[in-house]
Amino acid sequence: MTLDPRVPSGPLPDKWDRHRFDSKLVNPANRRKHTVIIVGTGLAGASAAASLGELGYNVLSFCIHDSPRRAHSIAAQGGINAAKNYQNDGDSIWRLFYDTIKGGDYRSREANVYRLAQTSVNIIDQCVAQGVPFAREYGGQLDNRSFGGAQVSRTFYARGQTGQQLLLGAYQSMMRQVAKGTVSMFSQREMLDVVIIDGQARGIVCRNLVTGKLERYVADAVCLATGGYGTAYYLSTNAVNSNVTAAWRAHRRGAYFANPCFTQIHPTCIPVSGDDQSKLTLMSESLRNDGRVWVPKQQHDTRHPSDIPESDRDYYLERKYPSFGNLVPRDVASRNAKAACDEGRGVGESGLAVFLDFKNAIDRLGRNTVASRYGNLFDMYRKITDEDPYTEPMRIYPAIHYTMGGLWVDYNLMSTVPGLHVLGEANFSDHGANRLGASALMQGLADGYFVIPYTLAHYIASTPVGKVTTDHQAFNDAEHAVQERITALLNVKGSKSPRALHRELGHLLWDEVGMSRTDAGLKRALARIPLLRDEFWQNVSVPGDPDNLNKNLEYAGRVADYLEFAELLARDALHRTESCGGHFREESQTPDGEALRDDENFTYAAAWEFRGVGQAHELHKEPLVFENVKPSQRSYK
Amino acid sequence: MKVHLKVWRQTGPDATGRLVDYTAENIAPDMSFLEMLDSVNETLIARGEDPIAFDSDCREGICGTCGVMVDGRPHGPDSCTTVCQLHMRRYNDGDTIVIEPWQALAFPLIKDLVVDRGAFDTIIQAGGYTSVNTGGAPDANAILIPKTVADEAMDAAVCIGCGACVAACKNASAALFTSAKITQLSLLPQGQAEASTRVVEMVDAMDAAGFGGCSNEGECEAVCPKGISLKHIATMNREYRKAMFANR
Amino acid sequence: MKALKALSTSVGSKYLVALTGLSLVGFLTAHLAGNLLILLGPEKFNGYGHALISNPLVIPAELGLIGLLLLHIFKALRHVLLGRTARPQAYTRKVWAGAPSRKSWGSTTMLVSGIILLVFLVSHIATLKFGADYPSAEPGVRDLYRLVVEVFHSPGIVAFYVVAMVVIGLHLRHGISSAFQSLGLMTPGWTASILAIGLWLSVILAGGFALIPVWVYLFL
Repeated sequence: MTLDPRVPSGPLPDKWDRHRFDSKLVNPANRRKHTVIIVGTGLAGASAAASLGELGYNVLSFCIHDSPRRAHSIAAQGGINAAKNYQNDGDSIWRLFYDTIKGGDYRSREANVYRLAQTSVNIIDQCVAQGVPFAREYGGQLDNRSFGGAQVSRTFYARGQTGQQLLLGAYQSMMRQVAKGTVSMFSQREMLDVVIIDGQARGIVCRNLVTGKLERYVADAVCLATGGYGTAYYLSTNAVNSNVTAAWRAHRRGAYFANPCFTQIHPTCIPVSGDDQSKLTLMSESLRNDGRVWVPKQQHDTRHPSDIPESDRDYYLERKYPSFGNLVPRDVASRNAKAACDEGRGVGESGLAVFLDFKNAIDRLGRNTVASRYGNLFDMYRKITDEDPYTEPMRIYPAIHYTMGGLWVDYNLMSTVPGLHVLGEANFSDHGANRLGASALMQGLADGYFVIPYTLAHYIASTPVGKVTTDHQAFNDAEHAVQERITALLNVKGSKSPRALHRELGHLLWDEVGMSRTDAGLKRALARIPLLRDEFWQNVSVPGDPDNLNKNLEYAGRVADYLEFAELLARDALHRTESCGGHFREESQTPDGEALRDDENFTYAAAWEFRGVGQAHELHKEPLVFENVKPSQRSYK
Repeated sequence: MKVHLKVWRQTGPDATGRLVDYTAENIAPDMSFLEMLDSVNETLIARGEDPIAFDSDCREGICGTCGVMVDGRPHGPDSCTTVCQLHMRRYNDGDTIVIEPWQALAFPLIKDLVVDRGAFDTIIQAGGYTSVNTGGAPDANAILIPKTVADEAMDAAVCIGCGACVAACKNASAALFTSAKITQLSLLPQGQAEASTRVVEMVDAMDAAGFGGCSNEGECEAVCPKGISLKHIATMNREYRKAMFANR
Repeated sequence: MKALKALSTSVGSKYLVALTGLSLVGFLTAHLAGNLLILLGPEKFNGYGHALISNPLVIPAELGLIGLLLLHIFKALRHVLLGRTARPQAYTRKVWAGAPSRKSWGSTTMLVSGIILLVFLVSHIATLKFGADYPSAEPGVRDLYRLVVEVFHSPGIVAFYVVAMVVIGLHLRHGISSAFQSLGLMTPGWTASILAIGLWLSVILAGGFALIPVWVYLFL
């Protein structure tokens, strides 16, 4: 089956305007009669809840945390892109669009990306009006920096805490609507099923994490903004509570899952130190602006870095990519770090790290300048590793960071289930096979502030929905299924903790579906995952009761979903025999070891339809049409 | 190494809590404090016992989810450090560590070390925002904001809402949290239109939520993982004074 | 907004505690200056006392002081009670947070020191203001000097006064700078100076007041 992305006709720059005009509107007086459920309160969820609340809809907002402000968007460090061209350095909407398409390795939808670039300028205006304290120049104008290898300075930032400030802006706007009564906040609720009535998403069943009670909520439409699935790998830069459950439950109810194999691995993370580690810490990519990446030329060189003379060092990024050097895109930097370590030239105790050296920068700029640029990152590094990056090089290693794949959505951000919309990282749409630095914040906020208010209005105005209550049989069935699953988890009474099983799954995915993938490895993963899943259901231990706060029960449910999802992740990776963006297939590379795309066979988004646990998914393709940008092989040489 | 723990266990809000002894074995110095607790929980789960409930999420000190009293100090002994960023190399083999939840009327206990900090949301709902709807914002560079002002606003805006200030305060006051948001928004031109109503409403909300008043001791500043300064409380008091005489 | 309502919130209450407290510090400063006249002999001291009580404004001023004091006590007690209510369950272990906290022995004992000072105040007024009314050489003028000298020749009373002055020093050591913070006057540029002034003023006032009974006991 071919999927229809419902991209409006007309020239690229006019599509969104035209679409907005063609979209139906909901009369202001009628909006409060329409209820919208929004699951998740990160950048996408909070901005959507605030905007829809302002418009007058009756919004029900859900999050698993004790406060909506805890969503993991808060941890984004570097910045947010916008085509403001404040620096007069040649930026434009078209250039941001072009960079994003190219950065995504030609696996994203042109119309969505162009709209993203268009709305980026409004996001900055909106955030400034909210009181987001972006960095400023002495003259009072907004400061910009170049980020993630971009040739223009289009990244707006608030120290190393841009995500935090943007999220708090959206959160505060949402809190304002809570006070006004347009948004009802339900925190500490975990969505465990989507309720579909007459083919439309009409509600959710969630567990109150404090009381353990299952609750039902009915609405005219449901929006999921529940983030990515990076924690499938156990160790990632995501928060420990980040999970795929909401998206996976929706997928099981009929929402197609697109491109799950497109996962982003961030090159500048603090290396793993031991088996008990619970998460990896990212350090902003901006470090690569002044830091130089190197490994020893010899294998297993255990000398202290300061004892290794320049002649014995291999600044491999500068050597292999003279024009971009240390600023190559994330996937290239990550893969090269892995290659160096695979050759036995990794550093540190585990041999799974490369150096990021600031000695030259400190000599050139002085310690104070380096401290003013990266001081907080250096402090963080020192806190975690007990090493001083001012005097010895940092050790870094790639880690899972972001997932470009997600639930398939059309141009209106609606999934294959009518009424079920998906926003932010949870959807698949805008970043293709690889996301550029500082673009995730942009997409989350674009979806929530500027896209969903129009497209959801059109859905509501043009789709008749029947009058249903939470007593409907579909709610009974959904709640019953959720209840059965919880009981099943508690009744296994095995001997392994969910964490132990999650760690095993994570190791497997990292080894076989990580930075570089092979046919044989993916098949090994596909053979192993069902066994792990069986082991989980036979041997997991979930002590405690279901009727109060039971974090282990929550965790077990999420791991169970990951054990189903992981199979799809591996299957998608296996089917895509090309190398592309964050997905590197060793069988598909150029003679000099660079990723080789296969445009002829894979210029499509792979959207998978659920057919039952352990059953083969059905593949649907959305062909990607490039009318405005001609796909070319990326080269950073 | 091995450390002895005395952990506050309380099955629910109405139950009686008490300190329970545990021993954390095979602790590596590079483990974070919460990873040490994870490992204790692993042994509890293996024995089929209810693990210790504690909150955490990002584990890099920015989400504000984690927070417990460690030996009588919120987030433990290190300054400007959340408990998820506290590392076991800070401790010696055989140390005894007392771990308790935040205690405050406004932060009702849910279980063990987990409390409900929803009262902070209530304070923000009272006025911790600028009343601008999405769309129609002027160009971001239309209003110039001197770098020094933006930096000062950012100093206040870095609050992560963890509640350590309340936990440390002898009055369980939320003055530092509330004032940080008031300062941020009162410094910026965008926030000045509502400055006087904001401070009054937020102070009212803070009182209504059951937080105590400020005794100006500054324990909050000393334990704040983001180093939010006591000067913001002075700013809040100043804004409040202005609001008292404002003609609205 | 309604000022009365504003003054009843946690912030407004502390505003009043600060204003009344600083007014009382003002009174103490004047009181100390007057009392030190005792070092210059009976004429100066009794003359000052007489001038003070013959001023028709003295009764309203005394009533005003009582009013300030009662308001100070009422608001401060309310503040303390509010704080206690806000933490129903105490910690089993709690340590001082360390720098840059301004917590001091003074700040932790405000309630106790306040109660001691109130007891002291009642006894102080009963002993001196309502003590023996000795006539002086000058007709109509009370010989307060003689009374003071008599009273302060009892070592017990001197010790009591000295202790009370240490307590007042502790109370002011936190109180003075804290008042500036409550009033929102503690701006970053002034913080160090205000903290220093608060400390030194409390030392000067406590030391000055304690000096009098000791001096009288030893030298007069």
